[in-house]
Amino acid sequence: MKEEVDDVRLVNAVKRFGTVVAVNDVSIDIARGSIFSLLGPSGCGKTTTLRLIAGFEQPDAGDVFIRGARVTSMPPYRRDFSMVFQSYALFPHLTVAENVAFGLRMRRVARGDRARSVDEALDLVKLRTLADRYPRQLSGGQQQRVALARAIVVKPAVLLLDEPLGALDKMLREEMQVELRGLQQRLGITAVFVTHDQEEALTLSDRVAVMHNGVIEQIGAPREIYDRPRNAFVASFLGASNFVEGDVVAADASSIVVDTPAGRVSVHGERPIGERARIAVRPERLRMQRGGAQGLPARVRDIVYRGPVTHFYMDSAAGPLLAYRQDARAGEWAIGDEVRCTWDADSAVVLDEGGE
Amino acid sequence: MKSAWTWFLLAPPLALALAFFVVPVAYLFWVSLHAASPSELYGASLTLRHYTDVLGDPFYLAIVRRTVGIAAVILGLCLAIGYPVAYFVALLPVRRRMLAILLLLFPLMVSNVVRAYGWVALLERRGVVNTALRDLRLTDAPLELLYTPSAVVVALMTILLPYMVISIANALAALDRRYEEAAQALGASPARTFLHVTLPLSTPGIASGTLLVFLLTLSAYVTITLLGGPRSKLLVSLVYDNVTAFQWPRAAALAFVLLALALAFTALILALLRPGRVQGAGR
Repeated sequence: MKEEVDDVRLVNAVKRFGTVVAVNDVSIDIARGSIFSLLGPSGCGKTTTLRLIAGFEQPDAGDVFIRGARVTSMPPYRRDFSMVFQSYALFPHLTVAENVAFGLRMRRVARGDRARSVDEALDLVKLRTLADRYPRQLSGGQQQRVALARAIVVKPAVLLLDEPLGALDKMLREEMQVELRGLQQRLGITAVFVTHDQEEALTLSDRVAVMHNGVIEQIGAPREIYDRPRNAFVASFLGASNFVEGDVVAADASSIVVDTPAGRVSVHGERPIGERARIAVRPERLRMQRGGAQGLPARVRDIVYRGPVTHFYMDSAAGPLLAYRQDARAGEWAIGDEVRCTWDADSAVVLDEGGE
Repeated sequence: MKSAWTWFLLAPPLALALAFFVVPVAYLFWVSLHAASPSELYGASLTLRHYTDVLGDPFYLAIVRRTVGIAAVILGLCLAIGYPVAYFVALLPVRRRMLAILLLLFPLMVSNVVRAYGWVALLERRGVVNTALRDLRLTDAPLELLYTPSAVVVALMTILLPYMVISIANALAALDRRYEEAAQALGASPARTFLHVTLPLSTPGIASGTLLVFLLTLSAYVTITLLGGPRSKLLVSLVYDNVTAFQWPRAAALAFVLLALALAFTALILALLRPGRVQGAGR
């Protein structure tokens, strides 16, 4: 196992605004050279968490470390980071090159070195030819690149990004995601990325923290968060999920059997017999069968054709069910058909209570 | 269609401006190019004498210099005192900011004449200030406070300061705080953030405040006459003196010197501060 250094560490950070607890006892460790995403709906505390790392907000409790140094009470301009803002915040009175040079000037880098670094940074974002333009003369995507160049040129210990792609249209956003990821890996920068877009978080990140009401609900690799959500909030915020509930009627070392109103299902996980259990299954893991005695009986209520996938909305005694199918036989089903829904035991997860 | 409507709406004010401003100014310029006449508005012969007099005569030049000097001192004081106040006002929450601006406007609700006589009562030989100084045994003889350039500067500055403060405060209040955060995120200390970001981004406010203060100083009359007295005359006073002496063409020439000063200063400010480069960017 390779030795990992944490570039950013938040320890039990708390931030209150009046009576609202914006960040509630948040602890994170961000490994050097990785992209860490703070994901959640608006008002979940993700931006405040980022601003605690930057120093624009002071925590009411807890500590902030950058590259091992405790920076909790250090003003932002002394901390080793740079930031890309959602609105880009490019200085309107400075040209592209002057904007990019700003951080170097503040660090008192000599003029010659400064010019060379600015050229390099502009090359990285492919904007060398626009060096003498003013921000207002650039498109949104170009402004975004300038903001990125301005932030990476100072070679910060950590790059903070506050919904940097939020203002771009979908095509450009996806293009920038790939570009951003490539750039970050080439330069080996540690990055903290705030977003409310789950797809973006899954695409870009090495690790994701899902936040809700100021609390981190789950931290993990994208696949872990998506496949093994810990609670109902995480399961429903990242993509769609089917939820069914029932009493645990049998349990062995690695799986349990839950008695739902529509029938019994087995699922990987631990829970004592007799307790209630809520389980979640992704729509793409749900299989549809005609007849048989296995799985939950349901009836097709609606079919939505979406090109590569077809969505099947079904009703069962255990509640509504949703299945995605992309096989050639999706067209064989019709509204009103009787269905049996099954899934592999390891495709479903038992959820913790809370998170709602 | 849209442009037809635009012209329809613009035509009346444009016609008014042409009839009552452009034409009279052109006529005034025509007047300034003539010799004086004892019985008519202006004499028969064309001459540039009034301009060469004003720009060549040491008496007139001294007054032009004094006018520019006093305006410059007032401007400097308004900037030095006004900017910090504006910065403070801009940071206030919206409701309190409105209240602060109303308070700043309060002195302007008092008539010019009343305010000037108020200053006279304060500054004259047996006025409030001199009496207080004597009673405190700080002075033996009363100080000459009234009828000095300083009296004019102090009195005008107190009227003009609100224009500067409100102009700059509006520019600063409209400034997106993200710019300052962006500067700090790039390692700029608060002082350098102010110098490299806040100050340049407030230039539209500085430019409009500076122009208002300078142009209003050039055209102020009541305060200058009542507090400057005969020894601290400025260009406006000369215009008035020449009009009352029936030297209409010379008064007209002086008016154009004033106008030229105003235009030159405006051009200078726009060239120096280039407010256009950040105009509309403060969101």
